[in-house]
Amino acid sequence: MFSLLGGVFLGWSLGANDASNIFGTAVSSKMVKFGTAAVLASVFVVIGAVMSGSAGIETLKGLTSFDISEAVIASVAAAISVSAMTVFSLPVSTSQSVVGAIIGIGIINGQVNTAGLGKVVACWVGTPVGGAVICFVLYKVIAFFYNRSGVTLFRSDMLLRACLILSGSYGAYALGANNVANVSAVFVGADMLNVFQASLLGGVSIALGILTFSRPVMETVGKRLVRLDPFSALMVSLSLGATIHLYTMIGVPVSSSQAVIGAVLGIGIVKGVKTVSVATLKSIFAAWVLSPLVACGVSVLLIFISRLQYLPPVQ
Amino acid sequence: MFKFLFKKENIVENLIYKYLETFDKTRDNFSQAFYLCVEEGNCRDFDFLAEQTNKYESMADDIIDEINNQMYGKVLIPDSREDVMNLLLGLDKIPHIFEKSLFMIKYQNLHIPGFLFQDIRNLVDISVETCEILALQVKHFLKMEKGIRDCMNRIDVKESHCDHLEKNLIADIFDPNSDIDPYLRLQFKELVVRIGDISDQADRVSKLVNVLSLKRRV
Repeated sequence: MFSLLGGVFLGWSLGANDASNIFGTAVSSKMVKFGTAAVLASVFVVIGAVMSGSAGIETLKGLTSFDISEAVIASVAAAISVSAMTVFSLPVSTSQSVVGAIIGIGIINGQVNTAGLGKVVACWVGTPVGGAVICFVLYKVIAFFYNRSGVTLFRSDMLLRACLILSGSYGAYALGANNVANVSAVFVGADMLNVFQASLLGGVSIALGILTFSRPVMETVGKRLVRLDPFSALMVSLSLGATIHLYTMIGVPVSSSQAVIGAVLGIGIVKGVKTVSVATLKSIFAAWVLSPLVACGVSVLLIFISRLQYLPPVQ
Repeated sequence: MFKFLFKKENIVENLIYKYLETFDKTRDNFSQAFYLCVEEGNCRDFDFLAEQTNKYESMADDIIDEINNQMYGKVLIPDSREDVMNLLLGLDKIPHIFEKSLFMIKYQNLHIPGFLFQDIRNLVDISVETCEILALQVKHFLKMEKGIRDCMNRIDVKESHCDHLEKNLIADIFDPNSDIDPYLRLQFKELVVRIGDISDQADRVSKLVNVLSLKRRV
């Protein structure tokens, strides 16, 4: 049981970080109270993990097969990679770090599932692109009806607030369904847990991160995105949920941070390409490359250290 | 249906419509008082109507305070709260001008000379019309209806007309051939400028409403 703590720690850090992508804008602009957002996100993360998390777990589990110590090392290597990226203020992708760590161990063991890896990497590229496309289409379609809806100013604001709560809850459901694999798939691969137990453990640990430590990140992310008008913020939130849900159906854990950035780029395309920041694009690209590489390197190092044996000097 | 979900919003929305009614009443009392005293010389009713204008102006202030309190009790999203309050505070400057203009006539005992009647009457008429259109424009904005830009254009035309009348009146007041006391000239000028402020303020608020409506379009 003690070895599961690595997974719980990873789940906790994922919850603390990624809840900001879901409810950040709503909370920082005071449209939704932090307490309401945290409780809703926690509940829906657990529901999503338990109801739809199995596909992602099966995919990650299939990348390689681990024993217990390797499973713990994969979690710890991913957590170290996420922390290092945070220290350097780079956008963090827990999904990519976990996959990088799994690959590192797979390389040492000489057993990497290249077909499964290809699917995962293709989805990484597709996450921001998918986020941007979904957001662009949603914005155009919903804006067409919104502008012709004839709802009064007061009704419109109330509906916007209600829709933000609903889309945030949907985003939390999709996050739980998609990212639970990052937290606990390695333990299924190591035969420590069955899929249901892994989903529940992962969901609860992500929820714990949201409830205990997501507030500062949520407020920071929201303020970073505060230039978005409320309608655009709703479209970003809705696109995030839809993008992650789509990848959950394919069975690949993806980064909610990258889905959000993709969706914000989608808004940039709607409102004029000049609003897209080249510096942001560079940091996203750096994170794409660095997150899995650092996690892979750390897991190789940890595995190497764990297999060192003390040899007494020859008399 | 689902009205219970919009309880706070309904309260504030009703308060804004109540404010607009009070705004209309202040405007009506102002124009009636002005005609009664200035043209018909019936200054007993003038006092009553000036007091009524003052009463409705105070009532409008109270409603604004109430809206402000309700608004920060989490009605509307923060972005809209600020926009709506800026709009109402801009609108609320107009009843103050109505009240001050009437008090000026009352307490400074101003008797407008006959040769200024027609132009001042035109100035008041057009200024009051800009306020009527402005109230209509605000209602369009609250209901998110079409016609906001059209109202802005109509107010803009009337405001230019008021500026023209204001200049003519000031030129007439300071006409070297007129025998008005120099001290009175300054007072009439102040009154004309103050009445001219009504359409200026209506124009400013109308442009703000237009910007806010464009901001809300997605």
